[in-house]
Amino acid sequence: MDKNLLISFRNIVKEFDGNVVLKGINLDIYENEFVTLLGPSGCGKTTLLRILGGFLDASEGSVIFNGEDISELPPYKREVNTVFQKYALFPHMNVYDNIAFGLNIKKMSKDVIEQKVMKMLKLIGLEEFEKKDIKTLSGGQQQRVAIARALVNEPKVLLLDEPLGALDLKLRQEMQYELKKIQKEVGITFIYVTHDQEEALTMSDKIVVMNKGSIYQIGTPEEIYNEPQNKYVASFIGESNIVTGKMVEDYLVEFDEIAFECVDHGFGTNEIVDVIIRPEDIDIVDVEDGKMTGIVDNVFFKGMHYDVTVQTVEGTSVTVNMNVIAEHAVTSDDGKEKISANDFYLDIDDMEELDDKEIIARADAQAWEIEADEYISIHKIEYDLQPVIGKYNVTFSTASGTSITRTIHVVDQKYIVNRKADEAVSAFDFYKTVEEVQEAVAIDTDLKTWAGAQGWRLSDEEESIDIYVNYDFDMDNIELGQYKITFTTEGREFKINTTDYVEEGKEIGLTFYPEDIHVMRRMIG
Amino acid sequence: MKSMSRLAIPYIIWGALMIFLPMLLIVIYSITKEGNGILSIAFTFEHYKKFFTDPDFLVILFRSLVIAVKTTILCLIIGYPIGYYISRSKPSIQNTLVLLVTVPMWINMLVRTYAWIGILSDGGLAQQSLKLLGFDPSTLLYTEGAVILGMVYNFLPFMVLQINSALAKMDNSLLEASADLGADNKMTFMKVTLPLSVPGILSGISLVFLPCVSSFFIPKMLGGGKYMMIGNVIENQFINVGEWAFGSTIAVIIALVMMISMYAVRNLEKRQSY
Repeated sequence: MDKNLLISFRNIVKEFDGNVVLKGINLDIYENEFVTLLGPSGCGKTTLLRILGGFLDASEGSVIFNGEDISELPPYKREVNTVFQKYALFPHMNVYDNIAFGLNIKKMSKDVIEQKVMKMLKLIGLEEFEKKDIKTLSGGQQQRVAIARALVNEPKVLLLDEPLGALDLKLRQEMQYELKKIQKEVGITFIYVTHDQEEALTMSDKIVVMNKGSIYQIGTPEEIYNEPQNKYVASFIGESNIVTGKMVEDYLVEFDEIAFECVDHGFGTNEIVDVIIRPEDIDIVDVEDGKMTGIVDNVFFKGMHYDVTVQTVEGTSVTVNMNVIAEHAVTSDDGKEKISANDFYLDIDDMEELDDKEIIARADAQAWEIEADEYISIHKIEYDLQPVIGKYNVTFSTASGTSITRTIHVVDQKYIVNRKADEAVSAFDFYKTVEEVQEAVAIDTDLKTWAGAQGWRLSDEEESIDIYVNYDFDMDNIELGQYKITFTTEGREFKINTTDYVEEGKEIGLTFYPEDIHVMRRMIG
Repeated sequence: MKSMSRLAIPYIIWGALMIFLPMLLIVIYSITKEGNGILSIAFTFEHYKKFFTDPDFLVILFRSLVIAVKTTILCLIIGYPIGYYISRSKPSIQNTLVLLVTVPMWINMLVRTYAWIGILSDGGLAQQSLKLLGFDPSTLLYTEGAVILGMVYNFLPFMVLQINSALAKMDNSLLEASADLGADNKMTFMKVTLPLSVPGILSGISLVFLPCVSSFFIPKMLGGGKYMMIGNVIENQFINVGEWAFGSTIAVIIALVMMISMYAVRNLEKRQSY
């Protein structure tokens, strides 16, 4: 392939009302390339395309086209043509006039125009359609006319802004092959914007993965798929198992407390890394042959293969006591209002962040007027907490002086650490009245809230982990007493695509080749 | 559905009584002799003959049409840029601008027309300001110019609103597509914007032209009887002369002229439609 540089984006920055949507894009595009800008909506890909088309001005940076800075050039002077998202065909013209629009503007002679338009109609497979009204065409046909209208001007570059977005799945797949065919035939550069990874992989010579106004990776579809540079790219293109690991030394990575040979190197000793293994790269073998072992959790039939979920590391669980206590609201002397609150447990480490609002929430302190059945606000909170383990009183009172005193149990809360699964969970004992339990709307969520249950990644405390609740009380007929509540994580699960059926619940081994392990630096920010 | 369409019956009866019947009566008046009793109706075409053989009436009809055409053209020339500007401005400002265009219509037409008399009269605001600018204006009031000014002032909002709504419907990406295909702003306007606003222009024309032809109040006040229009003649026949039959005849003729011009406009629209 020719490798003549055609377009250079140089440090393109674009701001809209103080929002930076492009953060300094540098990108080279060569002749005859099919380049795809791939990313989720809002990543800036369309903005970049519109800057190249001339419909937007970059806040900073320049666009070099064929060696010339075209940043200041209006759209009608640029040697690029665009296929718009909703085609933007002229409704007052027929197919022929739409395609001939650009040539008419250039004042070409009638017979030349006719020749060119007819050639285009043939290329897009819409011969005999020239007299048709645009509105009578189907979406796919309009799409082709839009492509022909742009291509007939023989631009050096064709820009396509999610052109297949409005078509149904079948037609979209057909058009992918067709677009690729057209691009090969006319031999010009296509710059294609999409959020559809399949479209990108099918058609592109080069994929530019974008997110949050930056380019994350540039490469061929194979490179992007097989060697994603970071977790985000891997998760955006294809399915993947992403786990946190540790680079023990060059060519040796550890995760799930097992060290694996790999082909990656150049990381720091014991550097925390993201490890990615594609579901189709993992093989299911007998337990004794596996590099790791696990229990088959789910098997879904997908036509071509089975989607198997295997739990390799058991979940982490923590059990707490729920103390169900009797109604204990305090009624004011005049009998007009009531106030209630519960004892609660507090981790000594959390004491610094504690404020009045947090105490009210933790104690679930409430006050209400009996007659009107309306909540009134807690007016005053008094407490004398020390950063020492022990029991402390807290008093809540309303504006008219009704008050209730409860106990804060300051404890050194232990959390359960599961190094193998790289996670930790914690939860507190708690107190609730019969009524409060019975009135719970979403009991699982409420239990998590009451116990302050949380799970997090050891290697990245910002990453929270889903927690599941287990209990064996009947919430409608609950009585006073102490109940055990268990909070559990899912553990480590691997997704595997396989053509062999395995039974759910069976213990199996998993194996993969060193080159199937993709180690990448953790993303910052 | 059937029970829903039954709900329309009262309105159909109302419409028949209030629209169709009066029109029918006008047509009957125009082809009957004066002073007929209900039982003895004598038909005649003498009123039509009178109208078409008297050059005075034909001149007035012609003058009315000319003034209406002039007013319509002026409304188009002034209204198009305003409508265009409104449709291209930010959505948040658009509503305010549309409001500003329609605000004068909130005030009674009589009051507005009297105001113009004050402005245009000898020694009035218009003459004074023109003098300050170094012109030597002759009489402004009771001229054809005054009549057209009053009409343009009154009917301009209709033109602006029609053109604005036609242009507002136009997708911005069409303009981008045009620029993308090599058309500069002028060509984009000629090849895309203007053709796409034709439906708005045509309905604006009918909304201005039709009431112009038959208006009688503005020519009476601002033309001062010197610039009689066909509407004034009809008014005279009914109120001053008392010849209801002849008045009806002129009304029928005007209605026919309007129908023909509407038909012509609709044909144009069909040819232009997309």
